[in-house]
Amino acid sequence: MRRYAKFVIPALLLAAVLVVLMVNLSSALVYFNTPSEVLARDGGDARLRLGGRVVPGTVDETGVGVTFELEDCDVSVSVIHTGAPPQLFKEGIGVVVEGVWDGVAFESDTMLVKHDEQYRTDYEDYDEDSHACTS
Amino acid sequence: MIALLGNLAILTAFGAAIWLVAAGAMASRDGVRSRLRTPVMVLVVAALAVFVLLEIAILTHDFSIAYVADNTATTTPFIFLLASGWAALEGSIVLWGVVLAVFTFLVWRRLLAVDQLGVLALAVMGGVAVFWFGLMATAGNPFSVCTAVSGEFCSASSWWPLADAVTPVVGRGPNPLLQNHILMAIHPPMLYIGYVGFTVPFAFAISALIRGDVGRAWLDRTHRWSMVAWIFLTFGILLGGWWSYEVLGWGGYWAWDPVENAAFLPWLTATAFIHSAVVQRKRGMLQSWNFVLVIATFSLTILGTFLTRSGVIASVHAFTQSGVGPALLMFLGLVVIGSLALFGLRARDVAQVPRLDSLVSREGFILANNLLLTVFAFTVLFGTMYPLIVQAVSGSDVAVGRPFFDRAAVPLALLLLLALAAGATAPWRIATGTVLWRRLRAAIAVGLAAGAVTVATGVRSLGVVITIVLAVTIIAEIVVRFTGVVAARGEGVVAAIGTVIGNDRGYWGGQLSHVGLALVAISLATTNGLAVRDVVTLAPGDTAVVGGYCVEYLEPFTSVEPNREVTGVRVAILEESCEDQLDVLEPRINTYAGGTQPVGTPAVWTGIRDDVYIGIAGGTAASVDLNVFVFPLQWMLWAGGLVVVAGGILAAARKPSRRVGTSDVVSVAGGGSGDV
Repeated sequence: MRRYAKFVIPALLLAAVLVVLMVNLSSALVYFNTPSEVLARDGGDARLRLGGRVVPGTVDETGVGVTFELEDCDVSVSVIHTGAPPQLFKEGIGVVVEGVWDGVAFESDTMLVKHDEQYRTDYEDYDEDSHACTS
Repeated sequence: MIALLGNLAILTAFGAAIWLVAAGAMASRDGVRSRLRTPVMVLVVAALAVFVLLEIAILTHDFSIAYVADNTATTTPFIFLLASGWAALEGSIVLWGVVLAVFTFLVWRRLLAVDQLGVLALAVMGGVAVFWFGLMATAGNPFSVCTAVSGEFCSASSWWPLADAVTPVVGRGPNPLLQNHILMAIHPPMLYIGYVGFTVPFAFAISALIRGDVGRAWLDRTHRWSMVAWIFLTFGILLGGWWSYEVLGWGGYWAWDPVENAAFLPWLTATAFIHSAVVQRKRGMLQSWNFVLVIATFSLTILGTFLTRSGVIASVHAFTQSGVGPALLMFLGLVVIGSLALFGLRARDVAQVPRLDSLVSREGFILANNLLLTVFAFTVLFGTMYPLIVQAVSGSDVAVGRPFFDRAAVPLALLLLLALAAGATAPWRIATGTVLWRRLRAAIAVGLAAGAVTVATGVRSLGVVITIVLAVTIIAEIVVRFTGVVAARGEGVVAAIGTVIGNDRGYWGGQLSHVGLALVAISLATTNGLAVRDVVTLAPGDTAVVGGYCVEYLEPFTSVEPNREVTGVRVAILEESCEDQLDVLEPRINTYAGGTQPVGTPAVWTGIRDDVYIGIAGGTAASVDLNVFVFPLQWMLWAGGLVVVAGGILAAARKPSRRVGTSDVVSVAGGGSGDV
C-alpha cells in the first residue's frame, strides 16, 4: 500500500493542480480578433481583444471614456471605451482594446497602445509607417 | 577594424570555451586545477575584449557597425551610450557571455588544487560558454557590418567583418523606453548576473551526476554561488518593477508580462532550491529534489532568455526577429533533455535517507514551501507558455489575462506566508502543536491586533486584512525570537546582537529576508487592494481631489534636451483641503529623435503613507487630462525588497574570521567539501 501511495498521492495532487489551472485558464483566456472577425461574431459575454487602427475623425470624449471607430482594411467597429485612454492614444494609430462585443458595439475597459515603433498590427494590406491601408 | 578585432575576440573566446571543455574533461580524472589555467584565462580576457571593443565602437559612434547604428545616436547621452552595450539583442548576448566568463574565472580561482568535482564543473561551464560564444559569432553577432543604408538608417548588414561597409550618418538611437530612465543601465546587468550565476550550481550538479558523486559535496560547494545569484536576481526583479512603476506610466509595477514572468520563474525555483538545500545539508533529505530544482532553475533562465530575446512575444524587451530564437530553443531542449536523462541514469545512486519523521517540523514546512513554490512556478509557466503553444498548434492569437495569474498568485502567496509563519520557528524533525502554539502565540496576538487596527481604520478588503495579519505575525515572531535569544546571552545588547548573528548568519540572514518578504506582501496587498485611480481634466488653476489628496494644475512647460523634446505639466500636490502644498510634480511626455512614438513619464510623490502617482493621459491647449493614482504603502514594496536582498547578503557573507586561503586548508582537511 505504501508503495502505491508514493505515486498515487503526487499523481492526485498533480491532477488537482491541473484541473484548477484549466478551470482558471478557461475563464481568463482572451482571443485576439480583427474588426472583420468581430463583426462576424454574435454578441456575447466572452472577453475579446480587438486590434485595429483608430479611424481619424471618429474620436469623441464621453466623460467616462472615449468612443471611436476601429478599422482594419475592410470594415470598422464602434468601440465604447470606459476609463482613461493611455497617454499616447490618438487618431490614426494602432491600438488593441479588450472587452466585450455586444453585437452592436465593442465595450472596452482596457486599451493598449504599443509604444514601440516595431509594433505590428495583425492584418494585411496595412502600411505600418503611414498607418494606411495599401489596397 | 573594430569589426575584425571584435570577431577575432569572439572566435578566441569560442575556441577557449571548447578548449576548456576538453581540458576539463581530460583533467577530471586527476582533478588538477592548474591544467585549466590557460583556457580560463584566455576565455575571460577574450570575453572582456569583446565587451570593451563593442563599447569602444559605441562610444566612438562607429556607425559602420550595424548594432551601433541601430541602437545609438550621436545625441544619446553618455550613460545611455554605455548602457547600449547591453540594452539590445546582440549586446545582451555579449553581456551574458562576459558574465559567464567572469563567473568561470571566479569559480576556477576558488577550486582546490586537486578537485575532480570542480574541474568537471568548469568543463560544463565551458560547454555553456561554447553555445554562447557560438551564438555571438553567428546569429547574434554584435559586430555585423552595415552594408546598406535606407534613408538615414542601416537597412542591411553582413557578419563578414571585411565586407564593404556603408556608414549611416545618423544612428537610430536607443529604443525610447530604454533611454528614458537611468535604471536601464543597472537593471539588465543585475538580472543577468543573477541569471548566469545559476550556471555555477547547475554545472556542479551536472559534474556530480556525471561522476556519480551524488552526495552533498556539490551543494556545499555551490551554496554561496547560489546565494549570490539569487541576491542579484532578486535585486534585478526589484529594479525591473521599480522601472516599470517610474517609467512606463501605466500605474503599476507588475503586469504578469511574459518578460516579467521570465525573470520570476527561475526566482521561484531558485528560492525553493535555497530552502531545500538547507534541508539536505542539515538533515540529509531531498537529494533528488535538489538536483531537479537546480536543473529546473538553470533551464528556466535559458527559457527566460529565449522569451525575452527571441521576439516570440511582443514586448518592450523583445526587439527583433532573428536566428537567435531558434538557437536558444535548441539549446534549451538540449539542456532539459540532457540533464534529465543524466539524472535518470543516476537516480538509483541518489540515496533517499533518512525519511521525513513528521510533517509538522521545520523540514515538513520547508517541503510545503517547496511544493507551493513549484506549483506557483508551474502555474506561471503554464500561463506564460499557453499563448505560444496555442499559436504554434492552431495559429490563433490568444492572450492569457491577468486574472489567471492574480487568481492563482493570491491564494498561493497567502499559503506561502502561512507556511513561513509556522515553519521558521518549528524545530527540526518533530514538532508538536503545543510547541508551535507556545512559540507563536505572542506573535499571533500581535498579528491579530494589527488586523484589528487595519479594520478600525476603515479597510474592508478581506485579502488586505488577512495579508496584514499573516505578515505582521511573521515579523513579530522573528522579532520576539531574536530579542529573546539576544537577551538570553546576558551581554551588552550590541555585542550580543553581533554574537547571535555571527553564530548563525545563514539562519538570521534568512529571517531578515522573511521580514522583508512580509513587508513586500503587505505592500502588494495594499497597492493592489486599496489603490485609488481616477482621471481628471483640469484647466490651469483648477483643483481636483483624488483619494484624500488635492491636485492642482499649475502650468504647462516644454523644454528641448539634446536627445529629446519634453512637453509636460506642473502639478501641485496638496492636502485634501487644497491648502497645504506637499510637492510640485512634473509628469511629462518625451519625444526622442529617430521617428519613434513619444513616451510618457509619470511623476510620483512619496509620503509616509501614500504614493501619489500622476501621468498625462491627454489634453488640449486649454486643459490637461491626468491619470491620478494613490497607492497606499507603495514605498514598503521597495523597502521590503531591499530588506530581502540585505538578508540574502547577510546569509551569503563570508565569516570575517575565515579568510580566503585558510578556507581551502580547512576544507581539504574536512574531506574536500570546502564552502566555496
